[in-house]
Amino acid sequence: MPPIIDKTKCNGCGKCVDMCTEDVFFGSEKGKVPVVTYPDFCVHFNCCVKECPIEGAIRLRIPLELSLLYVG
Amino acid sequence: MKKQRVEADVLCIGGGIAGLMAAIRAKELSAQKVVVVEKGNALHSGKARAGNDHFECYIPDIDGPDMLAFMNERYKTQVGAIFSATNIKLVQACYRRSFDVVKLWDSWGIPMRYRGKWESAGHCFPGGVRGMLKYEGQMQKPILVKKAIERGVEILNRVMVVELLCSNDGSIIGAIGMHTREDKLVVFQAKSIVLGTGGVDKLYPPPVPGCMASIPGCLTLTGDGRAMLYRVGGELAAMELPWRHVGPRYFARFGQGTWVGVLRDSQGKPVGPYVTKPDKKCGDITPEVDKSVLEDFVRKGRGPIYMDCRGISDEDYEYMMHWHGHEGNVALLNYMEEEGIDLRKNPVEFGTYAMFAGGGVPVNENAETSIRGVYAAGDELIAGIGLIGFAASGGQIAGESAVKYSNERTSVDIDEATAQIDKKEKLLQEIRSREIGPDWKEATIAFQQIMQDYAGFVRYETLLRAGLIYLRRLKEKVNTTIMARNRWELTRCLETLNLLDLAEAVFMAANERKEKRGLHKRIDYPLTNPMLDGKLLCIRKVAGKPIIEWRERDK
Repeated sequence: MPPIIDKTKCNGCGKCVDMCTEDVFFGSEKGKVPVVTYPDFCVHFNCCVKECPIEGAIRLRIPLELSLLYVG
Repeated sequence: MKKQRVEADVLCIGGGIAGLMAAIRAKELSAQKVVVVEKGNALHSGKARAGNDHFECYIPDIDGPDMLAFMNERYKTQVGAIFSATNIKLVQACYRRSFDVVKLWDSWGIPMRYRGKWESAGHCFPGGVRGMLKYEGQMQKPILVKKAIERGVEILNRVMVVELLCSNDGSIIGAIGMHTREDKLVVFQAKSIVLGTGGVDKLYPPPVPGCMASIPGCLTLTGDGRAMLYRVGGELAAMELPWRHVGPRYFARFGQGTWVGVLRDSQGKPVGPYVTKPDKKCGDITPEVDKSVLEDFVRKGRGPIYMDCRGISDEDYEYMMHWHGHEGNVALLNYMEEEGIDLRKNPVEFGTYAMFAGGGVPVNENAETSIRGVYAAGDELIAGIGLIGFAASGGQIAGESAVKYSNERTSVDIDEATAQIDKKEKLLQEIRSREIGPDWKEATIAFQQIMQDYAGFVRYETLLRAGLIYLRRLKEKVNTTIMARNRWELTRCLETLNLLDLAEAVFMAANERKEKRGLHKRIDYPLTNPMLDGKLLCIRKVAGKPIIEWRERDK
């Protein structure tokens, strides 16, 4: 479930924690890699990815149950 | 619990488009202290958080000099369904100033032109008027927040307002807020209040079992403003009228009008009569005639239904993908790229999403609610479903009215409400101290299933009456036993209590409207009653008890 944080890239700036309106990172400590405490509450608006200053440090993984159904 | 006291001439509850525009306007009209209080972070909150690409707008040079004729045409689209329950003078007032707001946003750095020109597209019938101006709204929230701060608006993030406070004469004097991360109560003393807390996105179960996030909106939009107004005796209206949306099945997203394709059944036949090939100017407006059409087709053996963009030109494909980004669908675009889904080759299945309650707070042309000193705008209004143009224009109107009212008021004294503040503080402490009981999630599943099964797609009197009994029993239990393990859960608990109040209003109103209207379909009253056109079904509390009554919509 989203979001996924790459611990080797994250600098712990906390921008994603500040920005998330759903507060899915609730309880994260300043200066540390955020904890995704409530992944079920992520509504996939990409705000955390957009605000992250480091390319690839955070991304969304869309859960299987939300897969697009398509043909062709 | 720590207490913080905040005084404001104008307090805007909700930092979305309506709240920010109201605050900016109030400050421009020289209100001394304007505060925006936001449950999340105003930079990324509300339905407009990730962007938008269409702005309901009337441009005389393009749409012709007759605004009323233009409005009549727009009433034929889904916009009409929204406005049918909205004060017509307010709708006119919003249209009148909509182009000025567009130009204002453009000057602020929100690109409102496409390649240097005003361009309207999507959500319209072939050959009909267009009312949705395409714009690049991805950065609209940070820009509006910046403009508010530049003008001296104070923004308080991470504070959920949980109750409005009125004086003995019934006028507003403030509100109680709760910090969502710290053990702190924020008491607001305010001469006027603008409600802009958005819609009600979580009253019905999500379509994907066990996946709360399978809704196109936001899980934190829980009708807080409506519920608080209702509890202090304010009027709600049209709560019985449901709303639905369509889009990619399961991966629920807004942006129906952004798709440039044709909705087709499993045999490749177009679902509607409007387009047979991708048309970037119109999109496919079929679902706006009846949002449940996709679901009905599946039930009648013609499913699945696909959004088929095959045949789109390269230029129009780039156009569509560009606007999807601004509509807030970046996660969807990233997903399609990762999965190798190419809309030029792959039709994507569409579906009709869950119901939500379309009703809300009725206001007059000055955005006044039924409580003196309280104004409302955006999705807080009746049938508010995310019309950015009207949130922006309506927010301005609410801000102007609030300043005027505050300037005429000498002072307010929040100490009048000490007993109410103490009572609320005690409730918060009780919820946090309980060790056994249902949490917010359990309570939410419990009321959502009652909503779906007793006030959902199938509605008739015995079902609605039984559902109301079950809901009230549940509400009583939840009110006295719900528990929160931390501050985050406490916020969700208070949202749940708001939703339960609104659920009760939906049941009462749905039983009272004895006709079919829009998606409110009564098996026992299958006809639409034209005698009820222009009338509004309102509900308010008198001495703590809900009273339901009909009145003229444009009163």
